[in-house]
Amino acid sequence: MNVICCLKQVPNTAEVKIDPETNTLIRAGVESITNPYDTVALEAGLIIKDKYGGTVTAISMGPPQAEEILREAIALGADEGILLSDRAFAGADTLATSYTLAKAIQQLERPAPVDLVLCGKQAIDGDTAQVGPGIATRLGYGQFTYVAEIREIDEAKRRITVKRKVEGGFEVIRGPLPAVLTVELDLAKPRRASLPRLIYSLRTGITLWNAETIHGDPQRLGLKGSPTWVKKIFSPPLKQGGPVFDARKEPRRAVEDCLNILLADEMFAWHFLKRWER
Amino acid sequence: MAKNLKGIEVAEIISDKCIGCQICVAECPVGAIEMKGGVACIDPEICIGCGKCFEVCPVEAVRFEKERREDAVTKPEETQKDIYADYRGVAVFIEVWNGGGASVSWELTGKARELAGKLQTKVIGLLAGHEVDGVAGEAIAYGCDEVHIIDDPLLKVYLSRSYGKALSDLCQKVKPEIVLVGATPVGRDLASVVATTIGTGLTADCTGLDIDEEKRLLLMTRPTFGGNIMATIFCEHHRPQMSTVRPKVFALCPRDEGRKGDVHRYPLEPPHGELPEIVEFVRHVADEGTADITRFPALVVAGKGACDPESAPMLQELADVVGGVVACSRPVVEAGFMPYERQVGQTGKTVAPKLYFAIGVSGAVQHLVGMQGSEKIVAVNSDPSAPIFNIATAGILGDYRQVVPLLIEELRKKLKGG
Repeated sequence: MNVICCLKQVPNTAEVKIDPETNTLIRAGVESITNPYDTVALEAGLIIKDKYGGTVTAISMGPPQAEEILREAIALGADEGILLSDRAFAGADTLATSYTLAKAIQQLERPAPVDLVLCGKQAIDGDTAQVGPGIATRLGYGQFTYVAEIREIDEAKRRITVKRKVEGGFEVIRGPLPAVLTVELDLAKPRRASLPRLIYSLRTGITLWNAETIHGDPQRLGLKGSPTWVKKIFSPPLKQGGPVFDARKEPRRAVEDCLNILLADEMFAWHFLKRWER
Repeated sequence: MAKNLKGIEVAEIISDKCIGCQICVAECPVGAIEMKGGVACIDPEICIGCGKCFEVCPVEAVRFEKERREDAVTKPEETQKDIYADYRGVAVFIEVWNGGGASVSWELTGKARELAGKLQTKVIGLLAGHEVDGVAGEAIAYGCDEVHIIDDPLLKVYLSRSYGKALSDLCQKVKPEIVLVGATPVGRDLASVVATTIGTGLTADCTGLDIDEEKRLLLMTRPTFGGNIMATIFCEHHRPQMSTVRPKVFALCPRDEGRKGDVHRYPLEPPHGELPEIVEFVRHVADEGTADITRFPALVVAGKGACDPESAPMLQELADVVGGVVACSRPVVEAGFMPYERQVGQTGKTVAPKLYFAIGVSGAVQHLVGMQGSEKIVAVNSDPSAPIFNIATAGILGDYRQVVPLLIEELRKKLKGG
């Protein structure tokens, strides 16, 4: 199996905040990590490699520092790390990103056909979930989003069977390879790197590809290839909250006061005391 | 003002305003800007002081003294208008669920009516499926002026490729200027296929939609950076402008059986390539792990501050007392203490119960967008500056391990007395 895992370096976004007074970003101490969903995609690729043999190639589009996450991927067991980095890629929205990644995957198809492309279902900084389906559409590969389990890969018939999350339940779906899978967190638990692999990863070079290497049309890359633009950013509007009771000294008093506020709304109290009966 | 060694007045990035969008990196004619640690950084010795970065920065994060140059900026817009003149109408993808329209579709037709009013245009329903005439009728009652249908046995079940083809074809035939899609599992899977096929912009999970009437632009507002910041995004040079919106963000459109509308039908042009087959469908049963948290009148929601397996029985007891179920915020799912189905927030479910207990939930916007429609919110948190207190009906400052048992006790008293 020839597997490609798409990884994104993201700020640990839970820590990025906006200062309500100056309307500026507070970034102090915010670290860069591999998108957690992508670490699961990589793990899924490594499991497939353990089971069926073949290669796992990790690719990432980003600034030069994104090399870090590819080195991590190699430490975990990826055979190669390819960094797509070029000024021309800067400012890409999801449409331009999926174009760039798809062009890179087409380059990887040249020596040997690609069987699977694995992506996280979304990235924690943008939460769009659009790049995976974008890649599948551009390459004409099968598309399986929200995959919670890879049931079976039939190499002879070139078929994959996966369990994916859908509204109201799960579906088990079987389709032809090659395919793009976007994976859920519960698909697999990422492994830890072994010491020899860790040392190996530090000695291994990361392949650097630019716009020319992937034969990218300059009009479709980066900002130029991006239909959507950010117009402005702002702090989310703060609503006026109700009273807050301090339970650190008189806990019971605070709880009573809080419930009195809650049940002061007679209609609400009536519904609540009837335990929401109609 | 900073000058470089050549004496040129150069631009500087105000790093705590920079959002890392990289627009300046792409626009800089001499390649003087690089990303460092998620922030743009200008090399003063390469900078030629042209001010391009200053002009394009969406958040005023570039310090530059020279006057904004007026030449070559706003001219081509008149011709832009003409190019898109044949794209008219606000379209909604009507998702079929259990034989009827999914309620998110009717929330979107309601919003579409408002947007179409500002644009003085029509509301269009785009419908794909099999034997969906009844849904077309519903779509008109829920606000569509026209419904365009592709009805084919191949569309009986949702597959990315067949639905992707059908909706892309409908968009190219009907040419709406805006397409709204519900951000359900189907909608999110489908919208990206369509936007990529047509080659247009798509903005995910918008929480606000408005119109720039002069330019006929859709202004799409969504939480970004993990929900701590709101961004307004637009798509000026491509049509249709596409956006997905989560369920329960907008109010349901009032149903009017008397409304009239036109129905247009098109044949399905089969997609290329072999389609996958659905082998099995497993419906969730309402057991422990998979309860549909959107259906309960009360929720007890554990956040990062109550992310401890030992707290589970206590929270469950509170949920039982108030007639609800236990749910959580994202860190609790990521820590592996609760399944994803229980997650409230932008990447989880949007809920609007009558009573919402937020236990140790700090209240990142990403979480708030998924629950701010709740009727009453009670927050318990040990951090007095937790943003959740800003939207709570009432709050308790303290350790939940001490507060929750008291809440259970006091609520039991009230229930007995009532």
